[in-house]
Amino acid sequence: MRVVRLLLVDDEARFVETLSKRLTARGYEVEGALGGPQALELLAARPFDVVLLDVWMPGIDGLEVLKAIRRLHPGVKVVLVSGNASINAAVEGMRLGAIDYLLKPVEIDDVLAKVEEAFEKKIIEEADAAR
Amino acid sequence: MVEDIRTSNLWRSPAHPDVRRVVWASVVPPLAFFLLAVLLTFFAGTAPGSRLVPLTVAGCLASAVAAGLVTVRLSRQLREVARQRDAFYQEFARLSKLASLGEASCSIAHDLNNPLAIMNEEAGWLQDLLHGAESDTTATRREFEASVEQVQIQIGRCREIARRMLTWTRDPGEPPGQVDINTLLTKTLYLVETELVATGVRVVKHLDGTVPLVQGNAAELRQVLLHLMKNALDAMKGVGGTLTITTAEAGDGVRVSVSDTGPGIAPELLGRIFEPFFTTKAEEQGTGLGLTISTWIVQRSGGRIDVENAPGRGCVFHVTLPAAKLGVSRTSAGGPHESGKTTAGR
Repeated sequence: MRVVRLLLVDDEARFVETLSKRLTARGYEVEGALGGPQALELLAARPFDVVLLDVWMPGIDGLEVLKAIRRLHPGVKVVLVSGNASINAAVEGMRLGAIDYLLKPVEIDDVLAKVEEAFEKKIIEEADAAR
Repeated sequence: MVEDIRTSNLWRSPAHPDVRRVVWASVVPPLAFFLLAVLLTFFAGTAPGSRLVPLTVAGCLASAVAAGLVTVRLSRQLREVARQRDAFYQEFARLSKLASLGEASCSIAHDLNNPLAIMNEEAGWLQDLLHGAESDTTATRREFEASVEQVQIQIGRCREIARRMLTWTRDPGEPPGQVDINTLLTKTLYLVETELVATGVRVVKHLDGTVPLVQGNAAELRQVLLHLMKNALDAMKGVGGTLTITTAEAGDGVRVSVSDTGPGIAPELLGRIFEPFFTTKAEEQGTGLGLTISTWIVQRSGGRIDVENAPGRGCVFHVTLPAAKLGVSRTSAGGPHESGKTTAGR
């Protein structure tokens, strides 16, 4: 079975750091980015399966990053993470092509479930495309 | 950027049609009666010994009494109308304070959830380490220490958020009626931080630290400042720009200016912006009472609001507040102020 390649995008450096350690300990290949531009650079440099994207970062709109990812890397699955209790951004994000969304603080089991679900979708899509 | 300057003045706002009707109905009949009496006196005067003379004198007296009664009744009614208006504005100001707390709760939730999310991960990581095989090594010990330190840092963040929330609901520090406007401005800016980030608007502060304390109620004045800041941000929505906040001494008071670099106000609408229920926003976004209430609050403190408009370049709202009277610890209720004048620009 292939190792899932994850990209974690959040402006909270320590959140990225610790969640990365926990996911790495669970057998995932994890990279972190502290903002939209860095995330897009990493996505351009190497392949990823799933992106965990914070939708509310200072200075940039997470949904704009989502749009860019969908346009430039349509195969990559995006799960939104939001610290905002309002679900407007989440609904808008789903409309723009995100797989699902998580509310901060996130439970590790929920993260794993969503990531697995997103990864499965990606595998199925890739198999369909190969046929 | 001075193109057009207007000053709000609630006390001079056009009378409601109902008020005008009451005034006419009460004034016209006694006036007509009085004129008739004067005419009769005139004709009676030309006919000596006429029996009309005592009659017209009695008529004059009766009309004078009637006019007096009407005036008393009218002024009582007008006082009642003014009282109801004040009660309404007071209640609306209270409700809009609650509403903005509701709006702020969204950004408070976000602010709180970020440190909570980090603490959640740290706790989870500590658990992972405890369940791991190498929980006794020096490297693991260092991880433990770093995680615990992070939890402490994040608790500090939460504490700061809680402190800010408390200053939102109550304002300790100054005695009532004496407000440090610079501190109030800085605190109010916290409340629009989320909108600032979302709209990409830059903030420039020119706060003069030497300005005196001003007369007014801190919670009410914050509503005014918050309203002006939100209006400025709305004007720059989608295009970004600069929000400039300035304080300066003005006469024996302080002038606070909130300026935006939005499109400005259409010249034909400028004269109406202080009118109750006038709004250019969509129905669910604006009540049209924000500026009216703000004017009411500021005028009650003995101040005034002016707007400077430059179509295409933005506008500036100036709030001028009198300096606090030292030794006086109560907010003056204030009656009508004659400070307002409409100075139409070029």
